[in-house]
Amino acid sequence: MSIGGSDLDKAITQLRACRPIPENQVRELCYKARELLIEEGNVVGVDAPVTICGDIHGQFHDLMELFRVGGDVPETNYLFMGDFVDRGFYSLESFLLLLCLKVRYPDRITLIRGNHESRQITTVYGFYDECLRKYGSANVWRYCCEVFDYLALGALVTGAATSLSPTDGPLAENINIENFPEADADIEIETLNANGEIMYRCARNSDSQSSVTSQPNSNPASSSPIAPTPSRVGAAGTGATSSANGSTRNDTGAILCVHGGLSPLIDTIDKIRLLDRKQEVPHEGAMCDLLWSDPDEIDGWGLSPRGAGFLFGADIVKCFNHKNDLSLIARAHQLVMEGFKEMFDSTIVTVWSAPNYCYRCGNVAAILELGEDGSNAGYVRRSNGDQGGGGGGWILGSNVGVGGVGIGNGGPTGGGNGNSVGGLNRRLSSVLGESGRTREGPGRRYRVFEAAPQDSRGMPAKKPVADYFL
Amino acid sequence: MSSEEIPDLRTLLTTRRGGLSRGRGRGRGPSGASLHENDALVDHAVQKTDADAAGFRLSSVQLGYLEDAYAKLFATQPAVRRPPLINRGTYVRTSAIDLLVHKFLSLSPDQPKQIVSLGAGTDTRYFRLRDRYPDLQLTYHEIDFPANTTAKLAAIQKHPQLYTKLSSKRSPDPLSLAPGATSFYSSAYNLHALDLRFLATLSDDAQPHQLPHLDPSIPTLILSEMCLVYLQPSTVSTVLSAFLHKYIPAPTPLSLVLYEPILPHDAFGRMMTSNLAHRNISLPTLAAFPLLRDQRQRLRGYGFCHGSRAADTEFIWREWVSDEEKERIAGLEMLDEQEELNMLLRHYCIAWGWRDSGSEDVFSRAWEAVREQDGG
Repeated sequence: MSIGGSDLDKAITQLRACRPIPENQVRELCYKARELLIEEGNVVGVDAPVTICGDIHGQFHDLMELFRVGGDVPETNYLFMGDFVDRGFYSLESFLLLLCLKVRYPDRITLIRGNHESRQITTVYGFYDECLRKYGSANVWRYCCEVFDYLALGALVTGAATSLSPTDGPLAENINIENFPEADADIEIETLNANGEIMYRCARNSDSQSSVTSQPNSNPASSSPIAPTPSRVGAAGTGATSSANGSTRNDTGAILCVHGGLSPLIDTIDKIRLLDRKQEVPHEGAMCDLLWSDPDEIDGWGLSPRGAGFLFGADIVKCFNHKNDLSLIARAHQLVMEGFKEMFDSTIVTVWSAPNYCYRCGNVAAILELGEDGSNAGYVRRSNGDQGGGGGGWILGSNVGVGGVGIGNGGPTGGGNGNSVGGLNRRLSSVLGESGRTREGPGRRYRVFEAAPQDSRGMPAKKPVADYFL
Repeated sequence: MSSEEIPDLRTLLTTRRGGLSRGRGRGRGPSGASLHENDALVDHAVQKTDADAAGFRLSSVQLGYLEDAYAKLFATQPAVRRPPLINRGTYVRTSAIDLLVHKFLSLSPDQPKQIVSLGAGTDTRYFRLRDRYPDLQLTYHEIDFPANTTAKLAAIQKHPQLYTKLSSKRSPDPLSLAPGATSFYSSAYNLHALDLRFLATLSDDAQPHQLPHLDPSIPTLILSEMCLVYLQPSTVSTVLSAFLHKYIPAPTPLSLVLYEPILPHDAFGRMMTSNLAHRNISLPTLAAFPLLRDQRQRLRGYGFCHGSRAADTEFIWREWVSDEEKERIAGLEMLDEQEELNMLLRHYCIAWGWRDSGSEDVFSRAWEAVREQDGG
């Protein structure tokens, strides 16, 4: 029995209907997947465009809804940031489908490891029991756990556009168009609902304060506006950004995707690359932290209430992003009622893709689309220095650490500043002080969706009960 | 985990919600009969909630969250390990009520005291209290549907650890447990087979329904752990009025401790209401008292005039549980659902109110140091 070619497509068809595949096919699939994953580094390189997804947790019907909203594989390029299993009732079908898609379209789907992709956690949170129940033995669980050990720890997305090409989608109900940016503005953030209707749009250089605060709550399942959290508002209107007069595009740095967050033991992405990842998730250490940590409104590092990983503050993120030339960290791991949450001046975002988590929480889910940079004429890779007609502040982003080569030369609006390294450093510190960012974030399109209906598309119904204290 | 265990109650629910004017469309008898059937289903769903609580309790006990040698004696099903957040929530709920009860019982230990547990189900608190306060003159009452009291008595009868505790040491009663008994009375422990709603049907000047051994003159704590929440607010009010004015009239100190959900209007609360409705469970007082301040106000409104306090269980976990105990709990299981747990805990509250007598201030003193939550 082999699971190549048409067998694989058959397995995909079967799994899409939420029906498990036979044990011997699982074994074969896991073997193939391991062969594939072993070739991936700890940090997988991914080219934009890509759609970044957070926790799935065995909510198979909602994973299907995600594909409906975000586009199917292989048409859409996906990056899943772990926690495929546990909690939901269809961990097995969800993970095996993603794995089949990985084997079938290895370049179109990236899977990285979450803290639930672990032997220990799955025995507590349901995946082990589910395998036992569905196959009568723990074999399938064991095959899957062997795959978990080979999943990458992170991904690095490059080539993302700084601004979104505007969608022509209709506007969602109750949206006040007056708060929308001008048609020719660079769109930094756009939020769409599951029907592709625009709920929110924010231009890069606009003062988005008013539009953020006045955004109506258009989502019935959410108690708060589907909008970037107020913590990010400051960034869009900072002096650094407006000094560019909207005339220049910046090189957006890479986007690091990781399930949990940062580790005090990791200050460069290269250090992630050096880890020996092919093992059960350890209880402590860098690998554990990457899968368990959470950002928090603290200074520096703090103890995590989860008992594994750490809490890390804005200073840690900004320093890490600067040092590693990142414009954004995308992570999952924490339930966010609105589906996504940008923090620390949009230097880190939590993406959560399990709507009505555990069939109980009533939250919406989100996926994050990063566009391809192809259309962006002003885009220049960092290592080349900024050759564009950048003014004032813009040079910074692309020249830090390049030893002043070409700094500010010929910039028509340069205003004579920034022609020495000293000036640059002063300027840099002032920018960091104001917004903490040296790189513009990528254009970010969030698609927000709700849980799939109970009896969707002829698949087995969801279990009708969630536990409460009665 | 098969869904077959759960009858599909939704069809009926739709009928009920739709009101009687809508056609039933299923050819089932006159609307009166259907309504009765429906009520029976709702009652059955409420009675079954005890099985959930019992299962959670057993899981928490087996994992070391709670110490309760009696939980397994009442279990009708083998212990199933529950998710950590359920175990934590069960721990917080039980230990919060324990704390209020202990503060009450440990004040003036020579004074006789009384506890009335509404909808007690398979609750083990009486047996635990007997171990902890062997010398206390405690009269304990449990009131529940006959179906639940019968099952409880059957379980008690099976285990010497249980039935030997049914009488007080001071004045032992002969045990007289007939097979299939629905009620039990002694000076220490009383199990009343009674639908609480019956108390609300009696007119004001009628003689109150007899509750044997219920002493109108000793300080009494009424406990409603997810019980009154299933009744209509007006029914709750009438039931409590019977206790406040007929069974335990002033000036006898009387208090009420409630454990109920709150915040029905946010996303989590709406989902809770909808999920429970699928099980044919509705929580009328949840809609009536959505916030902590509504809970305090309702306690005052009933007549618990000397104190009315409330805190959600997240606050209680944070503020009532010692650091040492928190550390012990944290060591029991890895908890990966912190945000969800906090959200779940924020949606349940303990509310406690009391009426003291002028001279004694029993509850004011007992609960003086128990912190409530500001605002809400």
